[in-house]
Amino acid sequence: MLWFSLLVLIPLAAVIAAAGEGGWDGYFQVLRNDQTWAAVTLTVGQAGIVALVNIVIGTVIAWVLVRDQFWGKRLLDVIIDVPFALPTIVAGLVLLSLYGPNSPLGVHWAFTEHAVTLALAFVTLPFVVRTVQPVLEELEADVEEAAASLGANRSTILRRIILPSLAPAIAAGAALSFARAISEYGSLVLLSGNRPFETEVVSVRVLTFIENGSTGSAAALASVMLVVALVVIVTLDIVQRRVARRG
Amino acid sequence: MSIEVQNVTKKFGDFVALDDVSVSLPTGQLTALLGPSGGGKSTLLRIIAGLDTADSGTINIEGTDATRLPAQKRGVGFVFQHYAVFKHMTVAKNVAFGLEIRKRPKAEIEHRVEQLLELVHLSQFSHRLPSQLSGGQRQRMALARALAVEPKVLLLDEPFGALDAKVRKELREWLRRLHDEVHVTTVFVTHDQEEALEVADEIVVINEGRVEQIGTPDQLYDEPANDFVMGFLGEVTQLGSIQLRPHDIELSTAPGLAGAISGEVTRCLRVGFEVRLVVRTEGGDVTVVLTRTHARSLEIAEGSRVWLTAASGATTVPAMVAV
Repeated sequence: MLWFSLLVLIPLAAVIAAAGEGGWDGYFQVLRNDQTWAAVTLTVGQAGIVALVNIVIGTVIAWVLVRDQFWGKRLLDVIIDVPFALPTIVAGLVLLSLYGPNSPLGVHWAFTEHAVTLALAFVTLPFVVRTVQPVLEELEADVEEAAASLGANRSTILRRIILPSLAPAIAAGAALSFARAISEYGSLVLLSGNRPFETEVVSVRVLTFIENGSTGSAAALASVMLVVALVVIVTLDIVQRRVARRG
Repeated sequence: MSIEVQNVTKKFGDFVALDDVSVSLPTGQLTALLGPSGGGKSTLLRIIAGLDTADSGTINIEGTDATRLPAQKRGVGFVFQHYAVFKHMTVAKNVAFGLEIRKRPKAEIEHRVEQLLELVHLSQFSHRLPSQLSGGQRQRMALARALAVEPKVLLLDEPFGALDAKVRKELREWLRRLHDEVHVTTVFVTHDQEEALEVADEIVVINEGRVEQIGTPDQLYDEPANDFVMGFLGEVTQLGSIQLRPHDIELSTAPGLAGAISGEVTRCLRVGFEVRLVVRTEGGDVTVVLTRTHARSLEIAEGSRVWLTAASGATTVPAMVAV
C-alpha cells in the first residue's frame, strides 16, 4: 500500500494540484483552446479505434496461437512481443521508413491520421494477445465437450461458453491497450508529423505546453486525460462483468 | 438393447486403445465399465458419446445408427471426472443450458430446473456460482445438467474419481438410488472394483483394449473368466497350483486333511476385525485372512506351524505358470 502510494498516488496528486492552481478557469481556458480540443478528440478517438481493433484481432491471434497447429507458430509467438521490446522511437522509425515519403510499399500514410492509427495499433498489438492467451490455454476442453453433448453447436459454444470466460481478459487487454495508446509519444512524434488540428496528439501537446513554460496548462490537460483513462477503464470493467454474467 | 457397440477399434498413434470391442448394454440398466487406468474404458465411453470417433466399427443407440452422428445429436448426457462446470453461470443457469439452447419456453425451463435441483438436493444453491460449491455438489449439479435434456443414455466418466473417499461412498449410494428413481440407461467408468460391485447391475471388465468379461457383480466375483478378472475384483493369493482369495483358505494347526500344504507363519498382522497372515510354504508365500476370533481360537502366532487347504466352494482359477 505504501509502495503504491509512493509510486502512483503522490505523483497523481501532484499533477492534480498543479492543474488546480489555475482554478476552474484554468481548465476551461485549456480546453477551450481549439488546438488542444482537437488533440484530445484525436487521441481519444484513435485510442478507442485501436482498442476495438485489438479486441477483435488480438483475440483472433491468441486463438490461433493456442488452438491451431502450424509451421512457424513458435516464431510468431515470439514476434508478437517485438512491439513491447522495441523502443517506441525505433518503432516510429521503422514505420516511417515503411509508410513514409520513400515508402517501398507505395503507401504514403506518414503525417496523416492513418499514421496515428497505424503507430498505435503497432505498439498496442501485444496487450490483448498476451492477456487472452493464458486464459484460453487454461480453458478445459471438457467444458466445451460438455456443452456439445448438451446440444450446443460451435457458434453457441463460442458465444455462450468461451467468450464469457475470455471477457475479463479481453477487457483487461483492451484497457491496457487504450491506456497505452492515449499516452503514446515515441512512435508518433516521428510518423505523425505533429500537425496541429490533424495529427497532433495530447502527449505532444503537453510537451509543447511545457516547452512554452505553461506548466499549469500541461497539468490541466494531463488531469483531463487521467479522467478519460479512468472512465474508460471503469466502463470496460462494467461491460466485461455484463458479458461474463450473460453467458 | 439400448447401446450396441460392434467391432470398435481405436488407435492413438501406435497405441491400441480399443481392439475390436463389441458390447451390448440393455435399456434401463446401470452398467459399469471397469478396468485399470489406460485400459480403454474411458475411450469407449467417449466414442459412445461422440466425443471421440472410432477408427472402425459401429455404435447404435436405441436403434439409431449413431456411428457418424455428432455429439450434439446423440441424445447422450455426459458427466466428466472434473465436473466441466460452466464457471461463469449460476447453478440454475448451468442446469438450464441444454434447455435454453433448445429454445424451450421460459416457464417450462424454470419448472424443470427446479425439479432437477430438488432431485440432486441443490435447491438452496440455485443462485450460487459453481466455485462456491464443494466437489460433490458440483458433480451433482453436472448430473442434473446432463439429465435436463432427457438423454436416452447417461454416461459418466469416473464421476467420483476426483472426490475424497467419504464423499465418494455417499455419492455412489446416492447414484444407485437416483438410478432407481429415474431409470435412464446409465453407463459409468470406474477403476474402483468396490464401486462397480456395489452400484452396477452389470459390469464390463476392460483391459488393454479388450473386453475380459461381462456379467453381474456376483457372476464376476464368483465365476471370474480368467486370472485377470479374478485379480482385479479382489485380492488373490496362490496356494499350490491355484489362485484364490485369501479368505477362502482354511487353516488348521494339525495335519489331517488330504492335500493340505504345510507352512510356517512368518507374519501376523491385525487390521480391524481381521487378521492377515503370511505363511511360508514350499511353493512360496501365501496370504491368509481370518477373522480375529477365529485366529484367537486357533492360538496362531508368528512361528506357528499350519496346514492350508482351499475352502469348499472357494472361487479358484488355475495359476499362471512362472510369473
